[in-house]
Amino acid sequence: MKLLECPINGIRPISEFTYGGEYRNMPNPDTCSDSEWAAYVHYRNGAPGLKKEWWYHTPSGTWFIAERNTMTDKVNRTYLLGQEEAK
Amino acid sequence: MTSRIAKKRGEWINRDKPLTFQYEGQTVQGYEGDTISSALWAAGINVLGRSFKYHRARGVLSFANHDVNAMMTDGVDTNIRADVWPVADGMDIKAVNTIGGVLKDKNKYIDYLSPFLPVGFYYKTFYKPKSLFPFWEDKIRKAAGLGEVNFNYPRIIKPKKFAHCDVLIIGAGLSGLSAAVKAAEQGLDVIVVDENKQAGGSLTYDYAGEQTTADTLTSLLGKVESNPNIRLITDAYAGGFYGDKLVPLVGKDGITKVWAKSVIVASGAFEQPPVFRYNDLPGVMLGSAAQRLIHRYAVKPFNKGVVVTANDYGYRTALDLASVGVDVVAVIDMRRNGAPRDLSQKVRDKGIAVHISSCIYEVIPTSDKLGVKAVSVCPYDDISAGADSGHTVRLSCDGVAMSAGWAPAAALLYQAGTKMRYDYSVEQFVPDELPEGVFAAGKVNGVFDSKARQLDGQRAAAEAAAFLGKTVDVVTVPKVEMAPPSHPYPIVEHPKGKNFVDFDEDIQVKDFINAAKEGFDNIELMKRFTTVGMGPSQGKHSNMNAIRILARVRQLPVEKIGTTTARPFFHPTPIGHLGGRGFHPHRYTAMHEWHVDNGGVMMDAGMWMRPAYYQYRGRTMSAMEAVQEEALAVRQQAGMIDGSTLGKIEVFGADATEFLERFYTGKFSKQKIGESRIALLLDEAGVMVDDGLAVRVDDEKFYVSTNSSNAATVYREMQRNVQLWGLQVTLVNLTGAMAAMTLAGPKSREILSTLTKADISEASLPDGNMIQAEIAGVDAKVMRVSFVSDLAFEIHVPYKAGLHVWKQIMAAGESHGIRPFGTDVQRLLRLEMGHHLISHDTDGLTNPYEAHSEALLKMDKPFFIGQRSLKIIAKKTLNKKLVNFVLEKDFTGDMPNECNLVIEDGNIKGRVTSIAYSKYLNRVIGFAFVAPEQGSTGSTFSIRTDSGAMVKATVVKAPFFHLLDNDGE
Amino acid sequence: MQNGIFKSPIAFAQAPLKPINGIVNGMETAITMADKAIEASRYELLSICDVSALNRFGVKGPNAAEWLAAASLTLPEEKNSWTLQGKRELVLRLGSSEYLIEEPLNSQMVAQLNALPVNQSGVHKVIRNDASFIVSGKLATTLFSEVCAIDLSGDALEENRLVMTVIAGVSVTLLRQMLNGQSVYRIWCDGTFGPYLWKTLLGITEEHGGGAIGFSFYYEIN
Repeated sequence: MKLLECPINGIRPISEFTYGGEYRNMPNPDTCSDSEWAAYVHYRNGAPGLKKEWWYHTPSGTWFIAERNTMTDKVNRTYLLGQEEAK
Repeated sequence: MTSRIAKKRGEWINRDKPLTFQYEGQTVQGYEGDTISSALWAAGINVLGRSFKYHRARGVLSFANHDVNAMMTDGVDTNIRADVWPVADGMDIKAVNTIGGVLKDKNKYIDYLSPFLPVGFYYKTFYKPKSLFPFWEDKIRKAAGLGEVNFNYPRIIKPKKFAHCDVLIIGAGLSGLSAAVKAAEQGLDVIVVDENKQAGGSLTYDYAGEQTTADTLTSLLGKVESNPNIRLITDAYAGGFYGDKLVPLVGKDGITKVWAKSVIVASGAFEQPPVFRYNDLPGVMLGSAAQRLIHRYAVKPFNKGVVVTANDYGYRTALDLASVGVDVVAVIDMRRNGAPRDLSQKVRDKGIAVHISSCIYEVIPTSDKLGVKAVSVCPYDDISAGADSGHTVRLSCDGVAMSAGWAPAAALLYQAGTKMRYDYSVEQFVPDELPEGVFAAGKVNGVFDSKARQLDGQRAAAEAAAFLGKTVDVVTVPKVEMAPPSHPYPIVEHPKGKNFVDFDEDIQVKDFINAAKEGFDNIELMKRFTTVGMGPSQGKHSNMNAIRILARVRQLPVEKIGTTTARPFFHPTPIGHLGGRGFHPHRYTAMHEWHVDNGGVMMDAGMWMRPAYYQYRGRTMSAMEAVQEEALAVRQQAGMIDGSTLGKIEVFGADATEFLERFYTGKFSKQKIGESRIALLLDEAGVMVDDGLAVRVDDEKFYVSTNSSNAATVYREMQRNVQLWGLQVTLVNLTGAMAAMTLAGPKSREILSTLTKADISEASLPDGNMIQAEIAGVDAKVMRVSFVSDLAFEIHVPYKAGLHVWKQIMAAGESHGIRPFGTDVQRLLRLEMGHHLISHDTDGLTNPYEAHSEALLKMDKPFFIGQRSLKIIAKKTLNKKLVNFVLEKDFTGDMPNECNLVIEDGNIKGRVTSIAYSKYLNRVIGFAFVAPEQGSTGSTFSIRTDSGAMVKATVVKAPFFHLLDNDGE
Repeated sequence: MQNGIFKSPIAFAQAPLKPINGIVNGMETAITMADKAIEASRYELLSICDVSALNRFGVKGPNAAEWLAAASLTLPEEKNSWTLQGKRELVLRLGSSEYLIEEPLNSQMVAQLNALPVNQSGVHKVIRNDASFIVSGKLATTLFSEVCAIDLSGDALEENRLVMTVIAGVSVTLLRQMLNGQSVYRIWCDGTFGPYLWKTLLGITEEHGGGAIGFSFYYEIN
C-alpha cells in the first residue's frame, strides 16, 4: 500500500500518514475483569483479514478510520469516526 | 581495423561527432551515440571483460542492456555497464575484475582450475576448521565482487521526482507504442518509458534484410510524437513495481517515481542463448545482439560467421548479416522441421547453407582463447536433445549468432502479483491472471507476430481505458498460427563442459545436474545453490534455460518447476540514485541566530536545533567547563534557556476540563484561572508517556505544555481522543507559534521586573502560577516553573517576538551576570532539583508507582487513560524503584555512565538512568532504578562501570541541595 | 502592542543572499534580492519570495464560520478551498472548521478581526506563525515535482482548491492564485520549519537557474 484516501483531503502517498493502530472497542473499565482488561491492553489480533484501523493525515491533522484487508493490503473504505454511514 | 559499415537508415550514431577515448591504454574512436561496447566492437576490440568466477574473456552477448560481463571503471565510477553507457570524448576506462588488464588477466588461471570448483565448492570446503575461516573469508571476499568501490566518490545529488499519469506503458516497442496511441486517443494521459536511447524496440533492429520494419516505426513514432497526451521517455528503465502502481523510472540523472492509474507492461522478451561448449567466447553472440550492432550502431558483428538457431529468428538474423556483407557460412537449425519454406528459401537465395536437425557441438577457440576460430557442427535430435558427436563437421568462422528462443521480460509483472502459466504454443511463460489495472501486451504476453503485436497493444490500451471508466470498443487479437518462437530444450551436453547457462556467474550445464543430484532440485533451492540468476543481470539470459534443465532432470513439465521472481531493481541501479536528494527537515527557534552568534554549540534535538551549551562570547571551553559555568550562573545569579521546543497546546471548549480529566491523571475541575497543574499522561497500560503543565487560562481554555520530544504525539493523541469521546473541545497546536524561554536563578525576578510593570512578586506570582503580562512591550504568558531552579520564570511570547524579548532580557540581566544556558546544562540543573525526565529516566514499561509519582494519580476520578491498568498494577508488588543517589564525597575513579547496571550478589537489580558531576554540589549525583528493598534513603547499592569496577552509591532525598549542608561534616 | 522590530522567520536563512531589508508590518523582511531585471527573469523562470511578513489571522472551531460570516466575510463553501475578499484578502478554509485570513498591504481586516471579541463558544482565535512563500515561474511544477508527491499539474489546485500536503518533508498548505496578473503558487508552513524549507526550495530553484526575489516584487512598499 503506497496510497491512502483521507476522507477530507483525498488520495495521498502513505508518507503523509501516521498509523494509529487497530480500532478496538474498549471494555467498560468499571465492570470488566482484570483479565479482560489486560487482554484489551496487551493482546493484538495479528491474523490477516479485514481490520478497522486508525490513520492520521499529518499535514491536516485528520484522524480517520480505514477498513483495510491486511491479507491483500487493500483498503475497502475510509471515513471519519462515526460517519461510517454517510460514506 | 574497423568494423564500422556504411551509414544505415535509423542508425543511432552521429557521424558528425567523432569521439576519442582510452580503453585499457588503447586509443579508440567512436561516435556520439555509441555505447562503450559498440565503439569497441567497431574498433575490432572483442574482449570487453572477464567473467566473474573463472575470469574467462567475454565480448558482446545480448546487447540488450544486460551484458554484465562487460563492465568498466573510469577510476571514479565503477561497474559501468559498457553495453549501455555512452562513450564520451576523453574518457579513460578499463575493464573491472582483472589483474594486469583484460587481455592478460592474471586471474585467468582460475579457468583451468574450474573442474575443481564445482558449485557449492566454497560452502563445502572452507567451513572447517572453523579457526581458518577468517583467513579464507578474506581471500574469498577479495576474489568475489566485480568493480572496486571508490571511497572518495564525490557527492552528486540526484533529484527524485514525482510524475503522474493515467496509463504508464513500459516498453516503447511495437506493442507499447501501439498501446500509447490507442490510449491517448481516448483522452488519457500517457507516459511511455523505454530503457533504450531511442524508442522502437525490435523495430530498431529486427529488419530481416528489409526496410518494412523501419517504415512501420517511422509512421508509428510520428503518431506518438504528435500526440500531446503522450510523454515518451527514453533512456530510463522501469525499476520495479510497487504497491498502488508506483513505478520508479531510473534515468541517468535520477529516479522519477511515477504514480500511474493503470500500467501496461509491453516490455518484450529477452533472447535466450542455446547452450553448447564455448558458447561464451568473444564473437559468439545472440542473433538480436548481432542485429542491434548492425542497425543501431552500423557495426559488422563479425566477418565470417554461422548462425545457430532453434527458431525462425536465426534466419532473420542471417538475412541481416548477409545484408551488410558478412559471409554467413551456414544456418544451423536445431529443429527437425526447420523454418517455413519461404523464409528458408530467402536465406538459401543469399547463398547460405541451411542445416536442419543440426547443432553446434562446440566452438573451437583461437589459440589465445580470446576468439572464435571455427565451429564443430553435428547432427542433433531436438526431442532427446542428443548430439551425435561422432559425426562432426568443422566450419571455420570468426563469429556465431545464436537464436534459441525468448523469455518474457516479466519481472515487473511478477512483482505486481501476476500469475503466469506456461503456453506450449509459444513455449513460454505468459500472464494468466493479471492484477487489477495492470495489463500486458506484445512478446511479454506471448504475442510475436508483428500485426498481432500492434493489435495486442491496442487491446491492452482499450482494456486500460475501460478500467479507467472510458467507454471503448473491445479489440480482439486473432491467434496467428506459427511455430513456437522458443525451443523447449536448446541444450547440447558436452563431456568437457564449458557450455554456459549463466554468463554472470559462470554456471555450466553440469552444475545444474550436480545440484539436482545433491538434492537442490527445487527451483528456489537450485537458484541459491548454483547462484543461477543471482548475478547482476538477474537471470535475464539464464533463468529460462535453468528451468528447462531442471524440468528435464526431474522429468517434469516446465510449468511444474515454476519460476523465481526477479526483485527490484530491474537493472543494477547506483546507490546514489536510490538515495537521491534526502530531505531532513530541521526546526529553528526564533532565537536561533542569537545562539549561533553567541557561541551556542548547536545540537540536533529531534528535528530542532538547540544549543547544548555556549562557547560564550568567543571563549573556548570544554563542554564540561561550559556546562558547570552555566549551571553555576543559574545557581548564583541567573541564566536563561530557549525553551521554544516545548510542546504548547491550547485546549478550548465547553468540555475542556472534562477532556483534561480523562486525558491526564490529575484533577482540573477546581483549578483556578492562572494556576498550573502537572499534566501526567499515561498510556492504556499505565506506562508514563509525558508530563507537562496545564494552566487554566479561563473557564473553557487551558494552555498545556508537553515535553519537547512529545509535542506532536501528545497533540495527535489529544485529537484522537476528542473524536473518540465526542467532546466539545477544540485543540490548537501552538508549539511552533510560540517562543518560550526560562529565566532562572536568584536574580531572575529582579531582572524580569525591569522589563514589566506587572507584579511578579512571590505573593502575586507564586510557584505554579501564571499571569498574562507585557514583557519588553510584548504580550506574554509568564509562568513560575521550578524545573531547573526554585525561582524561575517561563515566558511564552509569539514566535516573531521571541528574539526581541530574549535580547531584552539578556541585556537587562547583563549587570547581574546572566548567562544563556543550553540543554546539557538543563539536564544537570533538573537533576540537582531531583526531577526525572520521562523516557530518559523512565522507559517503555515504567509505571508511576516505580517513579514515585503516586501523588499525581487521582484514582478517585471516574476515568483517565491508564487508570484501569493502574488498579491492577497497584495490587502487585513493585519490582523496581527510581531513586536519587550520590557517589562518595570526592569520588575519583571510574565514573559510571548512564545505563550501567546496579548489581548485587552478581544479580542485576537495576540501572543508572542519569548521572552527572555537579560543581555546585561538588558531588556526583544521579538517578537509578534499584530493587525496592534498596530504595530507602540512606541505603547503598553498587554500580558496575564499563570497565567492570564496582562503585558504591547512596540513596538520598531530592532535591540534592541538602548535600551542601552536610559539606562541613 | 509590540515594541521593537521583529524578524521574518526566514531572515537568518536569507542573510547569505545579502538582501536589502525593510520593515513590513513591523517585521524585518527581504525587500529586494537582486536588481529589477534579474528578479524579473527569475520571476519568469522560477523564483521564490518570502512573504511571511503579511498579516494573518486564524480562527478555529465549530462556530468559526458563523463568527466570520457575522464579520461580513465571504467564506469558501468547500472544505480545503479559498476565496478572495474585496480588498484581495485571502480566506483559506483549512479542512472543515479552521480558517486562515491573510491580508495584502494596506488592509485593516486582520486588525479588525483581532479586535473583534468572541462572545460565543466554539470560536477560537489561533495565534499564527507562518513562514509563507510565493513560488512563480514556468518551472514551478518542475520544482514541485522534486519535493512533493502529489500531482499539482492536474486539477488538485483548480477551482480555488487548496491542499494540505508535505513538501520536502514539511507539512504545508498550498494553493495557486492570480497575483498581479500572473499565476503563482502560495505556500504556508510552520515558521520554525521556514528556514529549512526556504533553503531547500531555494537550492533546487537555483539548480534550475532561478532564484530568490524580494517582497517588493509583489507588494509596493510605501
